[in-house]
Amino acid sequence: MKTNRFASIPWHILFIGLIIILIFPIIFAIGTSFKPLQDAYNNVLNFIPISPTLENYQTFFESLDVVKITFNTFIIAATVTLFKVFTSFLAAYAFVFFHFKGKNILYFVLISTIFIPFSVTMIPNYLVISDLGLADSVWGVILPQLADAVGIFLLRQSMKTIPVSLIEVARLDNLGHARIMKDIVLPLVKPAVTSTGIWFFILSWNEYVWPVLILKTVDNYTLPLALQMYISSEGGTNFTVAMAVAVITMIIPLTLYLLFQRYIIGTFTSSGIK
Amino acid sequence: MLKITLTKDHWKAYCLLVPSLIVFVLFMFWPFIYTIYLSFFDWNMVKPTKEFVGFANYKDILSDPITYKVFGNTIFYIVLLLLINLFVPYIFAFVLDVVLKRFKNFYKGALFLPSVISLVVGSILFTWLLNPVSGPAAIILGWFGIEMPIWSKMDGWVIVVLSVITSWKVFGYNFIVLYASINGVPREVIEAARLDNVPLWKIFIHIILPMSSATGIYVLIITIVQGLQYVFTPIKVITQGGPNYASSNAIYQAYHEAFVLYRTGHSAALSILTMLIFIILLILEFKFVERGIHYEN
Repeated sequence: MKTNRFASIPWHILFIGLIIILIFPIIFAIGTSFKPLQDAYNNVLNFIPISPTLENYQTFFESLDVVKITFNTFIIAATVTLFKVFTSFLAAYAFVFFHFKGKNILYFVLISTIFIPFSVTMIPNYLVISDLGLADSVWGVILPQLADAVGIFLLRQSMKTIPVSLIEVARLDNLGHARIMKDIVLPLVKPAVTSTGIWFFILSWNEYVWPVLILKTVDNYTLPLALQMYISSEGGTNFTVAMAVAVITMIIPLTLYLLFQRYIIGTFTSSGIK
Repeated sequence: MLKITLTKDHWKAYCLLVPSLIVFVLFMFWPFIYTIYLSFFDWNMVKPTKEFVGFANYKDILSDPITYKVFGNTIFYIVLLLLINLFVPYIFAFVLDVVLKRFKNFYKGALFLPSVISLVVGSILFTWLLNPVSGPAAIILGWFGIEMPIWSKMDGWVIVVLSVITSWKVFGYNFIVLYASINGVPREVIEAARLDNVPLWKIFIHIILPMSSATGIYVLIITIVQGLQYVFTPIKVITQGGPNYASSNAIYQAYHEAFVLYRTGHSAALSILTMLIFIILLILEFKFVERGIHYEN
């Protein structure tokens, strides 16, 4: 092979340029969130605060019940994640280790739901949640999201790597399916379960479209909804506070990602799309 | 012998699927059918009775110039999203896999990072960064004597900026999925071509593209379907579809009809029309991805 040690340098520059474009907004938000408003206006380009202050965070905590809003976000994300992982795990197990009538059609139909646009289901779902008296409640946000085709897909891909004979031997030993799932399958697909769970948690934490339809009272808001209150197309007058709210909104997903990056990227790179 | 142990208890398999199926039936399939039903009625979500109007909602929608503006916008969004989130990451993923040797994990990790952040955060960050008067981008452009367009008030520009904001979130995910697929192409094929001094762009077009086509089509479809849904967030928080519907797309317009104008029939009809377009895409997806131009591992 013709090796040219320097041929790759322009590409490295492109990659680093792209990364700077993608990451810069985050750095900028963090820096600005610690600046007094006046400093932020006067030194727009210097995102490192000259005299760091917590006043923007203070303003946010004084104007809204931040603890309650963070708790709402957490309850929704945690409940949705637990249910999605559980229901997806059961369904994936059925799809991988059982032969039953209509299996392929059913799988096709379930996976197709990934492609159903939100607008097609929003009115009936909104009406149902209202009729159940769950409008303006975190449970109204949670209820329609207890299963997920992506979860079934990712866990199925992972379980397919387990030799079927292993399960069959366990069956011959009269082990029940519940035991097989818990003691054999779960330990083997734990990385996929963990990363699918973290991915769902992050997605739910960031969710905006459905909660904004359901949640009306500020006290019932999630963090992205609270953040939205600080936006106007002119940029808002209080943009340093907005940056503080943005930082609080992204800190959990960012931390989870930095901790579990290997798992998450691994799951998307090893699952393969079929 | 072995198959029998697993096949005799069909009902157990169905039991395992029931929890997922209940959710899908109640919150996906039934609403889908109910939306079709609503598209034939005049209603406002409050009135006690729905009035059957046949295809009147569809006629209204199809004779409304706003609809054509919105579908035009939708196509513009799709073109931009595909350009930034399919074309560009395809090339970058190829380069990372085939050309570059160092920093691979760092690049992957850093490019994926914005994908874990809320689009509301992205919307607010870019609203400020791209503020046409006092934002950093405007200041830097000012040094070169370039005036930043007041994008949130201008046809065309507004769609470009909202697409860029959405791409900030979508790019990394698509990049990783495409990278994984390209990484699955057998090394010997690529190495052999490189030994023969085949230029990189030829390797990309004649080896990589066909051998990763299933994933390519998958990313194409999700970029269109989910991309249009993702764009909803910046539209809702920054422009509310404005100015004068210049940034609205098919999905936002359905929301606008239902929850701002309270015309459920129009909203439902618009959603069903959108869905029909998506179904055509879906058929294409399964035709190519499931039957496979090429199967990947």
